[in-house]
Amino acid sequence: MKAFQYATAHSTSSARELVGEKGAYLAGGNDLLGLLKEYLVSPETLVNIKSLPGLNKIERGEKFWTIGALVTVAQIENNAEIKKVFPGLHEAATEIASQQIRNVATVGGNLAQHSRCWYFRHRDVKCLKKNGDLCYARNSENRYHSLFTGNDCISPVVSSLATIFTALDATAIILRDGNELRWSMAELYADAWSQRLAHNSLQPGDLILRVEIPLARSRSVFLQASEKHAFDWALVSCAAAAEIENGKLKSPRVALGSISNVPHQVAAANEFLNGKVLDDAIATQAAAMILQGAKPLEFNGYKVPLAETLIRRALLKLKGDA
Amino acid sequence: MKNSAPENPGAHSRRTFLKSLGTVAATAATAQVKTVAAELEKANAEKIIGPDAVPVTLNVNGEKIKLLLEPRVTLLDALRNYSSLTGAKEGCDRATCGACTVLFDDAPIYACQKLAIEAQGHAITTVEGLAKDGKLNKVQLAFIEKDALQCGYCTPGFVMSITALLKKNFHPTADEVKHACAGNLCRCGCHPHILQAALKAAGVEHASKTEVVTYA
Repeated sequence: MKAFQYATAHSTSSARELVGEKGAYLAGGNDLLGLLKEYLVSPETLVNIKSLPGLNKIERGEKFWTIGALVTVAQIENNAEIKKVFPGLHEAATEIASQQIRNVATVGGNLAQHSRCWYFRHRDVKCLKKNGDLCYARNSENRYHSLFTGNDCISPVVSSLATIFTALDATAIILRDGNELRWSMAELYADAWSQRLAHNSLQPGDLILRVEIPLARSRSVFLQASEKHAFDWALVSCAAAAEIENGKLKSPRVALGSISNVPHQVAAANEFLNGKVLDDAIATQAAAMILQGAKPLEFNGYKVPLAETLIRRALLKLKGDA
Repeated sequence: MKNSAPENPGAHSRRTFLKSLGTVAATAATAQVKTVAAELEKANAEKIIGPDAVPVTLNVNGEKIKLLLEPRVTLLDALRNYSSLTGAKEGCDRATCGACTVLFDDAPIYACQKLAIEAQGHAITTVEGLAKDGKLNKVQLAFIEKDALQCGYCTPGFVMSITALLKKNFHPTADEVKHACAGNLCRCGCHPHILQAALKAAGVEHASKTEVVTYA
């Protein structure tokens, strides 16, 4: 990696000042060091934000819980209360990477991580996402790529936390030049849908402060299918969350990861499921609605039936049948 | 970059600060001085340093190691190439293989994916720090007894992961061992014996010596 300057920030305002226009925030560093080592980014200054006060806490509220951006994935995994209140979040955290990574990886970093497309990650390939002229994946090795895309880049969002946060209807609070912005997960990734260069909607200097998860859905589930059973990226991930009252779904949300450049969610399917008594037929219908319009490429067609199965399993598990 | 002791490791120390305060501060109450000193330390910490080598003090296996490192030097590099601690191994250098696993305040992390400069102030334990008074720890002994290695390159990483697991979970199940070791790879394929060794170290003997590890 190229040489850089280094500073430790003790307040969000000094962090913003120190990072300037050409710096990068350093928290867990998993994604950043990977990018640095491949010369994909070369910030002038790394600003260590691990000492920013108050951002490493999980706080319980009456209407929502707050998870600081510096909370590690291991903290979520080991929090017994989260396992009870947001079981899907616990399941997602448990499946992220390896123990060594979960111990340092932060919520903010997991959400803000860059594309895993192997062409993007190759230092010698100048693909669309690196302002090149060609998407190398589109007509080549695209088995891990998207079924849905809003632009020419087909690298999917891979954050497992983004998938479960979408199903839980969580809000991310972003600090932009001194102002706090409240973004849905859809808004956090909106730019990745519309712009091929973007991994998310964050601008240089933006800082994810925390995530708020409403207590509106007591049932949640996260499932992922991978090539390896442990320490692997999801081929497809699926999260579902809802309340069940008198056997009927209330405010259901289904979200998928690794199949689109944003967490994939279909409002019509959520509405369809609302008030329904779940069974296999309903789950199958919902899955069809969620995957309608999928555009498989040469090698990623398997993701359609895989996603369909995960949606059905997640919904039935939500009900307690699987 | 050369491996030498910093010429002026105390550049931002409290002592320099107190000197700089002069007589007014010298007569101030100790408590106040401490508060101001803490403030100044904080201000210094917010200064931009590098990209050239800067003094870095690591606490490794209970000993302080003073080094002069560029901010970009990883903890793994600092241990292996700037100190003489070659126990943590470099495999992939991409947070994937686990050969570089060390304990960071008792939690296993990849030393290759952590900058040495940000490891300051934390207790680092490498495989060299496990033996006490010339005696191997129980995980190391179990690895020998269960023949849990072939080439040995991945061994320090596995030993660190399992040592960390047994610190918080005294009697793990086989699945818990697998979960804890999912971030360590053995290319010789010793996983079944490594599992045996972990269970042996935990005092949980396993029925079969040749259990096939399915990772299902």
